[in-house]
Amino acid sequence: MPDHAHTPHAPFQRKEDRRLVTGHGLYTSDRTFAGELHAVFLRSDRAHAEIVSIRTDAAKAMPGVHGVLTAADSTAAGMVKVMCMLALKGTDGEPPRVPARSAFADGRVRFVGETVAMVVADSVAAGLDALEAIEVEYRDLPHVIDGGRALDAGAPLIHDTAPGNLCWVGEAGDRAAVDAAMAAAATVVELSVESTRVIPSPMELRCCAATYDAANDHYHLYSVTQGVNALRLQVAFAAGIPESKLTIHAQDVGGSFGNRSPHYPEHCAVMLAAKTLGRPVRWAGTRSECLASDYHGRSNQIAGKLAIDKDGRFTAIQLDWVADMGAFITPAGIASHTRNPVVLLSGVYRIPAMHGRWRAVFTNTSPIAPYRGAGRPDVNYMIERLVDEAAAKLGMDPADLRRRNAIGLDQFPYKTPTGTTYEATDVPGSLEKAVLLADWKGFPARRAAAKARGMLRGIGMATFIENTGAGVFPKDQVDIEVDANGMVHAYSVAHAQGQGHETTFTQVIADAMGIDTANVLLHEGAPDHVLIGNHTGGSRSLVGAGSVCKLAGLKLVEVAKSAAAAMFDTEPSQIDYAAGTLTDRVSGKSTTLAELARRPEGLKTQAEATIGSTFPTGCHIAEVEIDPLTGTTEIVSYVAVDDCGHAVDHTIVEGQVHGGVLQGVGQVFCEKAIYDEETGQLMTGSFMDYTMPRAGMLKHIVIDENCIPSKINSLGAKGVGESGCTGSISAMSNAMANALRPLGVPPMDMPFTSSRVWHAIAAAGGLK
Amino acid sequence: MYEFEYVRPKSVAEAAGFLAANSDARLMSGGMTLLPTMKQRLAQASHLVHVGPLGELKSITREGDALVIGSAATHDQVQGSEVVGAAIPALAKLARGIGDPQVRYMGTIGGSIANNDPAADYPAGVLGLGATVVTHLRQIAADDYFQGLFTTALGEGEIVTAVRFPVPRRAGYVKFAHPATGYAMSGVFVAETGSGVRVAVTGAGNGVFRWAEAEAALAKSMSPKALDGLALDASHFSEDIHATREYRAQLCRVMAARAVNELLG
Amino acid sequence: MSRIELTLNGKAVSADVEDRTLLVNFLRDAQQLTGTHVGCDTTQCGACTVLVDGRALKSCTLLAVQVSGAKITTIEGMANGEVLHPVQQAFSECHGLQCGYCTPGMVMAVTDLLRRHPKPTDEQILHGLEGNICRCTGYINIVKSVKRASELMAAG
Repeated sequence: MPDHAHTPHAPFQRKEDRRLVTGHGLYTSDRTFAGELHAVFLRSDRAHAEIVSIRTDAAKAMPGVHGVLTAADSTAAGMVKVMCMLALKGTDGEPPRVPARSAFADGRVRFVGETVAMVVADSVAAGLDALEAIEVEYRDLPHVIDGGRALDAGAPLIHDTAPGNLCWVGEAGDRAAVDAAMAAAATVVELSVESTRVIPSPMELRCCAATYDAANDHYHLYSVTQGVNALRLQVAFAAGIPESKLTIHAQDVGGSFGNRSPHYPEHCAVMLAAKTLGRPVRWAGTRSECLASDYHGRSNQIAGKLAIDKDGRFTAIQLDWVADMGAFITPAGIASHTRNPVVLLSGVYRIPAMHGRWRAVFTNTSPIAPYRGAGRPDVNYMIERLVDEAAAKLGMDPADLRRRNAIGLDQFPYKTPTGTTYEATDVPGSLEKAVLLADWKGFPARRAAAKARGMLRGIGMATFIENTGAGVFPKDQVDIEVDANGMVHAYSVAHAQGQGHETTFTQVIADAMGIDTANVLLHEGAPDHVLIGNHTGGSRSLVGAGSVCKLAGLKLVEVAKSAAAAMFDTEPSQIDYAAGTLTDRVSGKSTTLAELARRPEGLKTQAEATIGSTFPTGCHIAEVEIDPLTGTTEIVSYVAVDDCGHAVDHTIVEGQVHGGVLQGVGQVFCEKAIYDEETGQLMTGSFMDYTMPRAGMLKHIVIDENCIPSKINSLGAKGVGESGCTGSISAMSNAMANALRPLGVPPMDMPFTSSRVWHAIAAAGGLK
Repeated sequence: MYEFEYVRPKSVAEAAGFLAANSDARLMSGGMTLLPTMKQRLAQASHLVHVGPLGELKSITREGDALVIGSAATHDQVQGSEVVGAAIPALAKLARGIGDPQVRYMGTIGGSIANNDPAADYPAGVLGLGATVVTHLRQIAADDYFQGLFTTALGEGEIVTAVRFPVPRRAGYVKFAHPATGYAMSGVFVAETGSGVRVAVTGAGNGVFRWAEAEAALAKSMSPKALDGLALDASHFSEDIHATREYRAQLCRVMAARAVNELLG
Repeated sequence: MSRIELTLNGKAVSADVEDRTLLVNFLRDAQQLTGTHVGCDTTQCGACTVLVDGRALKSCTLLAVQVSGAKITTIEGMANGEVLHPVQQAFSECHGLQCGYCTPGMVMAVTDLLRRHPKPTDEQILHGLEGNICRCTGYINIVKSVKRASELMAAG
């Protein structure tokens, strides 16, 4: 089996590895500041309550305490806004209702973990001592923690400005056409699923620090981030200051998965404290703080209907989607769970009629932000579960049903009924590769063998498509320059959190310039290179900034040719360039990039491109074995065949797939953020209760590629950061459903914890 | 953490004297539960009296038909001990499954049973084997020692110095590990001892307990089948976001059967 | 306050510390050895793992005073000048790290794992990694890294 270890640039070693494996990375909490103070937060210990009073005098008088801040301070400072990227009016004619959010809860707390006050002290210990001296009087209010129930008549109202807890409602597609198709269908399959609320939990704890330059009225914010541009835009907006007054600093970021992209109240809080106290202020969150107050992911309740004609062809799909936003809006929270599903409503299939309704709602829970896939895994989960249920109902092989309905390679560009134009990809080809690698045909024999051992075996397939590449900013720019030693430096505002940009982007430039990668360095988020460009997220960076790196390398060669031509008094067309050396074809004189860089004007340029969406796809197949006595599941096989377009480094692509697949596995089997319905308390408030996937949960994975280069960027890249997750959630869940179906277990939803699986088996009457 | 003073006594006697003189002092053995609790400010102490390093508490010896394990013997020591492996392999296996490698280097048997977490592994071994808990003052039979949720027969300032295990004919321990913590969601220790069959269950309820019906059934026939359909009072079993009461009862049955299989080799 | 004396990455260090100071804070704040990370509050993630007299321990659940007299090795003490330790080398070669935040703890835990089991079985590897959480790699390449490190160490 092709368990590829492609290493085109062997031996494999990422440029970032040396500092990271030797402990010399520079993560945000590694930074210290002369004269620094430490911030700690008092957080709401209840889901929904009026703040009657906050008394901070005793805390302020404690030893080592420099200040105690509350909403009185942040609201007075104008730090009260939340950015919302979606401005679209909904079907009720209203844009999203975006409630104000001061850096500290102002008058009311709305979820457990919300910032209420901050102590700034000489040490964390002194700060914690003072926190205990803050007295808050609350008047409890009824709460609602479930998205669906938040819409019920009489549900507790979370924001006065959002009647019925409705944040936004929108529709897409043609309802009449869908109704007609449903009525005419030979078969209609209906299923309700929940893409469960999960907590992204990158290993680096959320943290930030701020300094304030009073002379220039300028803030410096040090933070975990996915890109300095997006964070600067958002924080400046939230803080009510011009972007020109804020510089974001970041080097190494310890994972993110969407979670480090948005602005948080703690950003404004440390900035305000730094300004007020005239000292640098640092905050490092604890894991329990992060589990409660990091923005969560997913939390979508979806009801779906799929219509099929007598020949097994899909004729219509309809979704009714409740997107739980938590207690407040995050910048991309609404868009990711409404826009992405609309774009991908067709899945990988030809479906002539489509319609969906999306309602974004408020609940008394931590706000929702994009999490690896950001709506793409959610819509795929709904569609792929429907397809497998349809296959079961029709008595068809799920692979055959997909073969019959998948968009063929000859049908691109394919325009879906909701207006998306898919780029060329070969899903049927990926499916055929995957069924061979997974020995799909041999499954019945393996199931029989498992049954003889008293085990339940299941196989599940998922095909998927994702939109990646398009960003918030109008274009992606890259600065490139050569230093006096001939080293090429590139600057980008994408920001890796583990993706290895320093390796792949420099490879792209080296390839474009015909030079060794050792002679190229990448700098992300360099404060003195203010560029237009997108942050890293949505599997977009290689497609965007990465492909512009290629353009930058090519453009730099042209600039160098012009410079050499001027030096040799000839035309650029007379200059030959090879491997960093420029030669006048006529005179034979030559110069180097380093020499040109040593001229007073230096050697540098800027490249840019506007890049829209490209569409990576894939087919994943999971095989599981369930012990019916305990409900535990072993993943016995996993196959991932992806179309990620042109891959710059296959090892890094595989790493992305591995990580994505296991994050999906985590959501499927063990991860779920659970709030207690009665108390509104977060029950999964530490890693003692929030189950993180461990080594051995996924022992083997077979990876293959079936790539068709993208035409929308110079590299042909499509993006692969999220596909693992999008594929595995659906494939794993379908495998579980497949294993349980012969027992008569009705379609079961995530998480497939051993307790829930055992109960499902028991309820169906146990092993037959 | 709140402030405290760290004290390293040179002997158990010194530690006991210190605890007697300082009512807010707390004993620390491996610190694997106490320190995390203190870090979260859920516990406070004037002094931490650290007996973990005391050599006199670390020995593991075979004394006739008993295996004696010092209270500060770490899980790593127990799992790797040839003496334990030869006498009660099921106990070595139990130790090997506690926490993780880093925690096993520090966590101790004395700390585990003094804390008596309802999901800890050692209480099952100690009760299942009918061991005797030795303190600096007295000896306490396991049947008297464990008194439910985080409660033991230990008095104020009483220090566990060793656990004396009668070597069984055969024994087996199997647990279903909590997916997040590795603690037992149900763990069953089955032992065939000189004084009969003992079955101890941890992780299921408010503290380790003996399953009388299983003991009676296995005394008649030491086989997994003997457990089929046995009564198991699950009314006191715990229920949480990870497992229902019924599921814990099911795990208890399955782990018991698997422990019997282990015992049978 | 207590006086502690220890050998840290081969160098003698003595310092006065508050008794409640955790070893991880002593390393990061007092010694500026920020390669040792904190990733949880409950002794589970292993990002803070260091070697204490050769054994991998979680420095977030150890008091600095507890290790007075010990030899401590942190991630910063693993490489020999420019030459990476075989475990570091293996993680890099096998793409056993992405964001790198868990990596120092992983490297220390694996170093101890290989001390105990120079040629580990798959079961020994998984058992040995139980104390460390990684969010990026899916662990597939971490397991590969352990095997590669074993080979590199056997080759000397």
